[in-house]
Amino acid sequence: MKARLPSYAVLTLLVLFLVGPFFVIVAASFSAGSTLAFPPQGFSFKWVEKVFTVESFQASFALSMFLAIVATFAALVLGVPVSYALSRYRLPLAETVRTIVSSPIIVPGIVVGLALLRYLVVPFGMDITLSLFLAHTALVLPYAVRVVSASLENLRSDIEEAAVLLGSSRIGAFFRVVLPNIRGGILAAFILGFVTSFNQVPVSLFLTGPGVRTLPIDMLGYMERTYDPSVAALSALLAFMSIGIVFIAERFIGFSRYV
Amino acid sequence: MFQNRAEGFALALPAAIFAAVIFIVPVIILLSGGMHVNGHWTLSAYTDFFASSLDRLVLWRTLKLGILVTLVAAIIGYASAFAIVSLSPSSRGRMIGIVVLPLMISPVARTYAWLVILGRTGIVNQALMTVGLTDEPIRLLFSQTAVFVGLLQLFLPLMVISLVSALENMPNDVVPAARVLGANWLQIFFKVILPLTREGLVIGGTLVFVGSVTAYITPAILGGSKVLTLVTLLYQRVTIANDLVSASVIALILIVMSFGTNILLRKIATARNRA
Repeated sequence: MKARLPSYAVLTLLVLFLVGPFFVIVAASFSAGSTLAFPPQGFSFKWVEKVFTVESFQASFALSMFLAIVATFAALVLGVPVSYALSRYRLPLAETVRTIVSSPIIVPGIVVGLALLRYLVVPFGMDITLSLFLAHTALVLPYAVRVVSASLENLRSDIEEAAVLLGSSRIGAFFRVVLPNIRGGILAAFILGFVTSFNQVPVSLFLTGPGVRTLPIDMLGYMERTYDPSVAALSALLAFMSIGIVFIAERFIGFSRYV
Repeated sequence: MFQNRAEGFALALPAAIFAAVIFIVPVIILLSGGMHVNGHWTLSAYTDFFASSLDRLVLWRTLKLGILVTLVAAIIGYASAFAIVSLSPSSRGRMIGIVVLPLMISPVARTYAWLVILGRTGIVNQALMTVGLTDEPIRLLFSQTAVFVGLLQLFLPLMVISLVSALENMPNDVVPAARVLGANWLQIFFKVILPLTREGLVIGGTLVFVGSVTAYITPAILGGSKVLTLVTLLYQRVTIANDLVSASVIALILIVMSFGTNILLRKIATARNRA
């Protein structure tokens, strides 16, 4: 139907534009020189090694990892029941509830971070890590609701009604019939939530304290102070981590159809 | 459908209350701060914002960048989406995977790559000097162009994915039918394809526009204080000027832009579908 050559040309350019910069970071991180340059000056592992010796990176990596796992878990604990209620119960105000739990995705992150800092952290003396946990949970919640809701919509509701008719309790039917069937969706929601929280910058921008900084914020600060390729090396490592996660998720649950 | 309302509410309320307390209430208090100055309810902070030429310039620049990125993303998006749906199913899946992948990579890392590409000793400058087009490095960073390229790279995948699924849902025979009836490619695109993929374009456009006008990392790294956008201006107002009133004004403008785009584009999509 269409000429093939222009089509391949377009796709080549697209891939070059989207993926090319990633190869640039990888190449820059193996540079032997002391400033960021391309093509890299020589070849060495020293910047990759340096990433592992910068103490603040270790602490902020641990914090980001912890936040991403705990906040995504909390968002699912809140998000699965509300998605179930929205898809299986006839609720008055259902649209209002949906808007409320989805709103963190529409309000710009920097506004959320500032609001939390001024009206939860400062007046109530809330711990920064706790405020980060709450902010990230709110941020991941819309993704959890969206992906889990889509899985629930694709699952026929008569099978759990049948289970209830056959004498199962509502809760029993949920855990034995519904949950096993939306496993893929929950796993996809977890991965999407994890990545969203781990990479999040605007929300966490104001929520930093002495020694409490998420990894992306720490990287931004480091970039302002130094111009050496260690941030390139760290970026490359993080990109490899994301690629690994997505690759495994794609193999097992067909991740890209949930995004 | 279960009819038990109490049970349904018991399942829905924890999440709704959490989002309201942690999120909606603090944001509303923040926004009201911009209308409550020196103990009075007033809109003076808003008139100050629109009276300041710097603030107006930043607002206009943010809008302009958002619109440009969205337009260019739509053009590249259609070209790419056509190419992707013309592939065989297996390579189509692989190609979608490649398009989705950057979305999972840290935006800090993705933006950082542009420092390497556009920096003084970056690829573009090296190439220009080797070819002899310039003797010394030209400044590519900290310009609107750099911010534009960074934003486009960041948000283009969202547009491509939306348009691919819109094209996949389009009936197969409409383009050949229009062709047989003598329409040229321009007519086919504007009279057949565009109306049938409008919803995908609207969804992709909303994501790209709102993402661009509310992005922090890209303007902060690639624009610096030379190319302020509303978000980086807000950050400066809080951290440098400690001016919460002005920050709250910018926050409301950002929220209006984000909510407004969502509502407006949803309206356009449904209104035209009814007609």
